[in-house]
Amino acid sequence: MSHPLAPLGRTLAARAVRYVVIGVSGANLYGPSGQAVFTTDDFDLFLPADPDNLVSAWAACEDAGLELWSTSDPLDRPRDRWLAERVVERRALTRVTGPDDLFADLTLVMKGYDFETIWAERREFVIEGTAIPVARLLHIVTSKHAVGRDKDRLFLATHRDALEQLLRKQDDL
Amino acid sequence: MKRSLEDGLRALREATELAKSIRIELTDDYLELIALVEALPQNQSGADKSGRWRGSRAYWSFIASGRIVEPRS
Repeated sequence: MSHPLAPLGRTLAARAVRYVVIGVSGANLYGPSGQAVFTTDDFDLFLPADPDNLVSAWAACEDAGLELWSTSDPLDRPRDRWLAERVVERRALTRVTGPDDLFADLTLVMKGYDFETIWAERREFVIEGTAIPVARLLHIVTSKHAVGRDKDRLFLATHRDALEQLLRKQDDL
Repeated sequence: MKRSLEDGLRALREATELAKSIRIELTDDYLELIALVEALPQNQSGADKSGRWRGSRAYWSFIASGRIVEPRS
């Protein structure tokens, strides 16, 4: 089955959009294939507070046939620089939905970090032939610790154990 | 079905209460674990992660294929 992020990754790359996968979906990519992953139903894409980059990201989503939402309403049109400037000012989130159960959030905020720090130390994993920028695991975990919501604490409570299991399996190979 | 829904809601309430009581510290050994995982060969730039989603989709397909049954008496 095709990875739901792959088509969007291709169009984001085609438009040279700067973004980094963060959150649980990013942490999952550090696990080995076949191991249980933390359940999440969406992808968090961290973007810089750059209106032009955001316009390109919206266009890339449309190129991939995805729908854009602002809270529960479709994102206004035209999806131009003026609108992007308003969204950046508010650090508002754009939600993306599409086929193959894709849910993604385009976020301009990552607690505890600025975009350039995350971007400078990113990893680029390959998914179905496309390079997908992913934040360092250290940055994902420390940001979740800083946010401290209930779901973040639940994640952190199980994540450490998962890392220990992963390394034990690595030793057994 | 009603009982399953109530069971599910109760489990969610319990999980929420549990989460509130959890305090996770980023200790030196936790941070060292993270560094070790980041250093694995399969976690370097260029690694192919295409298989990651297949695992979780298989998991969700398995869950979705389940059905509710009455407990055995």
